[in-house]
Amino acid sequence: MLVDLAGGWNPMLGRLAWSQIPYDNPILAPLFVAVVIGTIIILGLITYYGKWTYLWKEWLTTVDHKKLGVMYIILGLVMLFRGFIDGLMIRTQQAWAVGTHSSGVFGATHGYLTPFHFGQVYSAHGLIMILLAATPLLVGFMNIIVPIQIGARDMAYPYLNALGLWITAAAGALIMISLFVGDFAHNGWFGYAPIFELQYSPGVGVDYWIWTMELVALGTTLGGINILATIIKMRAPGMSWGRLPIFVWASLSANVIALTSFPALQVALGLVAADRYLGAHFFTAGLGGNLMLYTNLFWIWGHPEVYFVILPAFGMMSEIFPTFSEKPLFGYITMVLASLAIAGVSWLVWLHHFFTMGAGPYVNSAFSVATMLVGIPTGVKVFNWAFTMYRGRLTFNAAMLWAIGALFLLLIGGLTGMMLAVPAINYMVHNSVFVVAHFHSMLLVIVYAIFASVIYWFPKVFGFKLDEFWAKTMFWLFSAGTTLVFVPMYMLGFMGMTRRLDYVFNTAWHPYLLVMEFGIVVYMISVLAFFALLYVSIRDHAKNRVGTDAWGTSRSLEWLTHSPVPFYNFAVLPHISTRDEVAWRRDNGIDHVQPDHYEDIHMPNNTGVAIILGGLTFVLGFALVWRIWWLCILSLLAIMALVIYRSFKGDPGYIITAAELEEMEKDAMRREAQIGKQHYRVGGGVLGDAIAYERSDLPPLASQPGSSVGLDHRS
Amino acid sequence: MQVKWRNNLKNGWRYAALAPILLLNGCAGNPYWIFNPKGLMADTDLFYLILDVVIMGSIVGLTALLVIWFMWRYQKGKNRGKYDPTWSHSNTIEVFVWGIPIIAVGFLSWFAVKGTFEINPYNPTVITNHMKPNGDPVEVDVIATDWQWLFVYPQYHMAVTNELVLPAHTPVFFRLTSTAVTTTFFIPQLVGMIDVMPGMRTKNALESNNIGEYQGIASDYAGAGTSWMTFKTKMLSSADFGQWVQKVQQSPTSMTYTSFNHYAEPYIDVHHKVAYFSSVQNGLFDHVIDEVMNGKTWPIPPMMTENMVAYMQKQDAEHRD
Ligand code: HEM
Ligand SMILES: [Cu+2]
Ligand SMILES: [Cu+2]
Repeated sequence: MLVDLAGGWNPMLGRLAWSQIPYDNPILAPLFVAVVIGTIIILGLITYYGKWTYLWKEWLTTVDHKKLGVMYIILGLVMLFRGFIDGLMIRTQQAWAVGTHSSGVFGATHGYLTPFHFGQVYSAHGLIMILLAATPLLVGFMNIIVPIQIGARDMAYPYLNALGLWITAAAGALIMISLFVGDFAHNGWFGYAPIFELQYSPGVGVDYWIWTMELVALGTTLGGINILATIIKMRAPGMSWGRLPIFVWASLSANVIALTSFPALQVALGLVAADRYLGAHFFTAGLGGNLMLYTNLFWIWGHPEVYFVILPAFGMMSEIFPTFSEKPLFGYITMVLASLAIAGVSWLVWLHHFFTMGAGPYVNSAFSVATMLVGIPTGVKVFNWAFTMYRGRLTFNAAMLWAIGALFLLLIGGLTGMMLAVPAINYMVHNSVFVVAHFHSMLLVIVYAIFASVIYWFPKVFGFKLDEFWAKTMFWLFSAGTTLVFVPMYMLGFMGMTRRLDYVFNTAWHPYLLVMEFGIVVYMISVLAFFALLYVSIRDHAKNRVGTDAWGTSRSLEWLTHSPVPFYNFAVLPHISTRDEVAWRRDNGIDHVQPDHYEDIHMPNNTGVAIILGGLTFVLGFALVWRIWWLCILSLLAIMALVIYRSFKGDPGYIITAAELEEMEKDAMRREAQIGKQHYRVGGGVLGDAIAYERSDLPPLASQPGSSVGLDHRS
Repeated sequence: MQVKWRNNLKNGWRYAALAPILLLNGCAGNPYWIFNPKGLMADTDLFYLILDVVIMGSIVGLTALLVIWFMWRYQKGKNRGKYDPTWSHSNTIEVFVWGIPIIAVGFLSWFAVKGTFEINPYNPTVITNHMKPNGDPVEVDVIATDWQWLFVYPQYHMAVTNELVLPAHTPVFFRLTSTAVTTTFFIPQLVGMIDVMPGMRTKNALESNNIGEYQGIASDYAGAGTSWMTFKTKMLSSADFGQWVQKVQQSPTSMTYTSFNHYAEPYIDVHHKVAYFSSVQNGLFDHVIDEVMNGKTWPIPPMMTENMVAYMQKQDAEHRD
């Protein structure tokens, strides 16, 4: 062994021992039992209904970007729920453990969580919410929507796409199992040097933290490569850069950030692992280590990451506002430039996360100014959404409400961000709950945008709309929760309350903490409303079926194909004539024009390799955490063998013949005709020189169609 | 002149902040430490906070009103405003859309840089520019351990744990380091945060004209004892400070390199134990930094606080001081 391990090690089980299972913990043990029972019930139901083959064939081995996207979103929602529970636990501890006279249970002197336990809960909360809830939810949406919006049949690398999902899922599983086997890191989601070194965190918690993050980073990087390649190479004929839907631009800039910044995280964590496993001294206080280097490396990824998650959310809002304002997005070019500017500047501001580390005033000034620069494109976006509503015809349905909520939260988060960007202010509120309130405002922008998108795109993916009443009820409950939790939190920030207190020494803060506790309860009720929303919508799905254009005012290409989207997306690839293609086709009465003949198409085969690799990475992660070296080597060898095998085997894909395609298309059209909202017309060329579908018997498109909505330059 | 508008701005803000306080806290005094600074550094920080909020707040506020107005005016079916289904571009608006944020950010940047120099912890010009030619600043060496604060007064060769006592009307200069892990030194009403890192020295400074007692906090997570790692800061008149120094100097205990090693072992300061050391071995601060740089650590036992009640019993039984 290169390092001294507290608590023993044996070659068979590594550090694993019975004492590492918290069976005597009054919170975890019942939870564990509940989880086991829940799992048995679910597995039992699957077996009872004989759904194993269906599950395996249709979902677990799929390479269909929509199904993978849906699984990403389910993973994200499950982790979001876990994160909510963590949030509830944190709030409860802080509402309880206030002042010397507060009681304590379960071995805590105050409240119900010991300091070590509390540290684990909020570290897991932060990591889960950012990396395993927000990120998969957004990646899920990008997965589903980007290929359809650019008129592609799938991602550039369908198998890689599945691999990205299953590696991310493995990361989720790893952090979940840390609840029941061993413990999790107590040092915050971003980790501090040198507290995560072996001397100060001798358990396996930090190791779980390292390998969970490494796996998410790997999964997200693979996903990012895929989305970039898809956007660059797979656009339908006529889909030039200037016609790209704005969500695609947002995804492009976000994934450029991901691809360039995640490696920094992987390196940083790799070096932490070197310290903890090999006894290196990269980030130790002594022997030549430099602990400030860690903080720099982490935030060189950390700040771009926050923009990686906000940019797709901005893209979602930019799709939803025009649809429900019934007019094009104001300032498309500006919006694209703003996204790229945000991506660019996001590499140059990381130091604002540690102005207090003692850099000189010149360095701090430079990063302060750079940080404020981000405010410019962000401000531009808000103005553009406002002017999208201007002279519009606004419908305030649930999706629009969530999007407007996101806009207002962005105003608040932007204001507080601009405060934090000034070192003279930052020194007073850094590490306080004010910062926590700031980034929750911002992350809630994402959550709001995600719920808006769930409502907005749900009919596209599943063919029926979600229930408006419950969607709105959830919105108002959730917003009440947001207000009740975060208004007091900002106030506490101005009172000087610092973050991560497992015991609150100032009783003057108690009333506010109690209001926040009430707020989190309201949040939990809104989660119940979400379940009600799903239940009611699925129950009434026959009533809420939709045709291709679910909202009747949609603008971009995904609304051209059937709802639910067939696995091949488009039977014949559409020819893109303008920005906001569907709005243009609708305005010219050609939105239901169908191709007049079909051709064979080539689709990728399903593969079980991705999920097996995901499983093996989980085993590898687990073995690394517990230092079970034989298992590490074994799983690593298996992974390598499988990767090599798959690379040589490749995937020849399969052919859907034109006849089969026509049959399926007719089915879909018949279904849609039953809803009574669709009238199909057959024929490709329409309106003079505009073309709906690429056809060999027509010359390529030479000029812009006459009426191009998005390019109107009247002022 | 400048000082005056600064003060007006701050007073106005204080009255505005009073409303919710009266509402929620009755007579408990002003709980908004950040709005109620009692030292030069914190005061300067508040000035910039107000400036930033006034500028950004007015832009954000107006934008919010604009959005609300559009929401009202262009609601479908209400026919309040004209519907123009193709309108999506205007050069005039674009100029404003980019112009307003650029001007605001430019303006704020200038102040941000100015402020950074004014409160630069290594040489805060709000303090150093006004120092009396022969003013004798007080120096304090701060050593954070897991999880206590040791304040060494090198000028008086003495030290105090978990309580900081300072004379008013006098500049105070801190040197800070830590034994084991990183944390942050913060006295909300007096001075902003500065990180305290093992094997390294940071600096900070404060000056206050307000006699009183203020809360000091370890504001960065440093492990199990962080929440209890607080300290009272007392600003005394110079006469009172002199007396206090004498009191400390009469303490029978002293702090040597060896006794420091024992003192610096993990200890959760639940009872806010204050101890006086009448003498301190010379160069303790530098000695600690040297040792840490050469690899000394103060390890934490596994699962130390898995059961906090049991741990506290153990710690109390050890009677450490
Ligand atoms: C106008 C744009 C923004 C500005 C000027 C800004 C500024 C800042 C600053 C200066 C900090 C450091 C605070 C401190 O620790 O002292 C910070 C923290 C943070 N911001 Fe922002 N921010 C902006 C937008 C965003 C966005 C869009 C997100 C995305 C969700 C975000 C998420 C975060 C997070 C997660 C942290 C703190 C992480 C932590 O300490 O745990 N911010 N922001
Ligand atoms: Cu940042
Ligand atoms: Cu340092």
